[in-house]
Amino acid sequence: MAVNDLFEKDFTELERDGILFTTLGKLVAWGRSKSIYPVTFGLACCALEMMQSTNSRNDMARMGSEVFRASPRQADVMIVAGRLSKKMAPIMRRVYEQMPEPKWVISMGACASSGGMFNNYAIVQNVDSVVPVDVFVPGCPPRPEALVYAVLQLQKKVMGETFDAEGVELPMVEGWTRS
Amino acid sequence: MSDLPHGAQVLHEERSGDFSTKLMRINVGPVHPATHGVLRLVVDLDGETVMGVAPRIGYLHTGFEKTMENRTWQQVVTYTNRMDYAHALGHDLAYVLAAEKLLDARVPERAQRIRVLLTELNRIASHLLGLGTGLLDMGALTPFFYTMRERDKILDILEMVSGVRMNYGYFRVGGLSRDLPEGFEEKVQAFIDEFPARLEEYLAMFADNPIWVNRVRGAGVVTRDTALEVGLTGPSARASGVNYDVRKAAPYSGYEDYDFEVPMAEEGDAEQRFAVRAREMEQSLRIVQQALVRLEPGPIKDPDRRISLPERHELETSMEAVIFHFKLVTEGFHPPMGEVYVPTESARGELGYYLVSDGGSMPYRVKVRTPSLVNVQAIEPASIGGTFADMVVNIATMDPVMGDVDK
Amino acid sequence: MSAAERLLHDAVTMLEADLGGKQGERHGDVHVTLDKETVREAVRRLRAAGFELLADVMAIDWSAYPGHEGERFTVVYNLASIDPVTRIFLRVNVEEDEEVPSITPQWKAAGFMEREVYDLFGIPFAGHPDLRKLVTPDDLEGHPLRKDFPLGETPTLFNDGRFLDPATFRAGMLGSDTGRTGWVGGARKGVRSEQGREAAERELTEGSDA
Repeated sequence: MAVNDLFEKDFTELERDGILFTTLGKLVAWGRSKSIYPVTFGLACCALEMMQSTNSRNDMARMGSEVFRASPRQADVMIVAGRLSKKMAPIMRRVYEQMPEPKWVISMGACASSGGMFNNYAIVQNVDSVVPVDVFVPGCPPRPEALVYAVLQLQKKVMGETFDAEGVELPMVEGWTRS
Repeated sequence: MSDLPHGAQVLHEERSGDFSTKLMRINVGPVHPATHGVLRLVVDLDGETVMGVAPRIGYLHTGFEKTMENRTWQQVVTYTNRMDYAHALGHDLAYVLAAEKLLDARVPERAQRIRVLLTELNRIASHLLGLGTGLLDMGALTPFFYTMRERDKILDILEMVSGVRMNYGYFRVGGLSRDLPEGFEEKVQAFIDEFPARLEEYLAMFADNPIWVNRVRGAGVVTRDTALEVGLTGPSARASGVNYDVRKAAPYSGYEDYDFEVPMAEEGDAEQRFAVRAREMEQSLRIVQQALVRLEPGPIKDPDRRISLPERHELETSMEAVIFHFKLVTEGFHPPMGEVYVPTESARGELGYYLVSDGGSMPYRVKVRTPSLVNVQAIEPASIGGTFADMVVNIATMDPVMGDVDK
Repeated sequence: MSAAERLLHDAVTMLEADLGGKQGERHGDVHVTLDKETVREAVRRLRAAGFELLADVMAIDWSAYPGHEGERFTVVYNLASIDPVTRIFLRVNVEEDEEVPSITPQWKAAGFMEREVYDLFGIPFAGHPDLRKLVTPDDLEGHPLRKDFPLGETPTLFNDGRFLDPATFRAGMLGSDTGRTGWVGGARKGVRSEQGREAAERELTEGSDA
């Protein structure tokens, strides 16, 4: 097909020829959603299930999230895996702030999401009070399958396919602006 | 000073012409790929040589001991396994043994056999994890996938028994929460048949590998005296020639009936610490095999009504059973006043629960002698004088679990 | 008499004769109570006698123990001999803010253990080379394992501003404070009386007396 065709033909004709049209924002969001790299932030028991989710049985690489980056500057999502102590909270906030925009947080497990069974002086009762959480995963610890499902949910959120409590569609993440 | 990493500090500088050497203090962790969780180390470096290591811990301090003082004796079992999540059943076993000694409970034969069987399976899983992540810390990614595959098989068995993949809480004071499911024996037997070949495969992958041998042989030597000076126990101490395994020294749960050896080494370097763990897996498998053969049908709980919940079917016919059930679920049992300490062997070393009872339904004081807390102290003598890269090997081979360190 | 029994017997005799120890027995374990001044010497001698492993240093706060008289804290040293296998416990009773001589200078293993006791109980160890907090954050005031330190539970929140106070709930459940549920901030579901609502509002404005 000649390049000229792109300008001369009607877009319905082009689509019939196998050329798809989208906006740049959608394209970037699609690409982004399929390569969400997590930062290694294993805290406690859930960290083992997080490791287990990358192994041959569960293989989170299928979802594009296989590369656990040790540096937060190369990561897109922080999986808070385990109980967060009050001593660790400022450090977690700092790691979160080192991640480049856009960034997401998955709160993995009961302890991270609600304090779980550790309702005491030492544990932060909800990591949402330290960093904004996008997806909560229940379980103590959640199975690797649950974490893979959480990543899939996050992908939907990135692509703008999620709704808030009132049923209003949430916008996708802006692809071309930088803060 | 602009070439220094953030937070680093120059302690001492020597100049000779254009050339200068600096003694630097840098911070490693608590978010670092090689610190097994949230261990933080303050390291003094002279070039690449480690001059001093100071572990800073507490980044996973969960307040276990305080929380346990506010739970009933039976509820504490839910907490113990979250402390050392890699060898969870070891903690469960240590706690229930201490509480049973306080109560003077009589645990049936079958329950003891099952406890030993599952604890040893869990020990294999823990060592596999230590081996896999240890090699991962050294940059070898592939063995991690192999060891995690075998670990998954053990977790499948334990899931079948207890209903969860981790944090089992399957043991109860006085016995077990329920009997083994159908098909358990076949599944364990399949694992026993398969595992030795797999283990050989892993060992062949790195034990004879010249890259591996050059990396770990002679690295991070801990002598026997140093090991005792810092209180090191477990496989790491046995690699240094400390012949101390609580399963042999002070047998509990019928360990004296099983035929197994305690792997020992004298060198005390990182290679031997790995090797001792690998050989310990073989011995654990022997214990699993023997326990499986000796499993016989029978009761799994102490028949004492004041400790164990009555059977489900009794609740339909017996008013007395309902009363005991209600009392046990709401208040739990009341052990007599006293203090007790029971040492056990976890995958990391001597693990003991020191319980103080005031006769109430909640423990007055629970003190856990966690092996990892003490073993972390051994990183310092092992690493001083070696390179920074060797320090990473030392952390990996001491195999601390941070939940076990910080409590 | 086996080698282990002889070792233990000799150790206890030595502690009683030379250092004024008092022998006790708790569930089959030998405990020897010492004065705090002699603990260093006792540990040194026991180590020389063959107790090679310092398993633990811990503390107990007796302030809420029923019928307890005497000093508030007990520091327990747990020493083990590897060959032959035996174990001895040393106990030192101290009051609040009373210093215990540190054994870290002569036995490195005590370093973290004594720091942990200092952190969680506030018992200072004199002569410890690096006595700082170990596990709790630097800005946490107080010593969590003391009996007067609250557990620090957050109430469980429900809709309509109601919440459950966990400590009261537990006290009601265990029978130590019968008749209370810990349910604060509104009538329980299903109760729709005027009095119930009034009581709930009163409780909300004046705070719970739980």
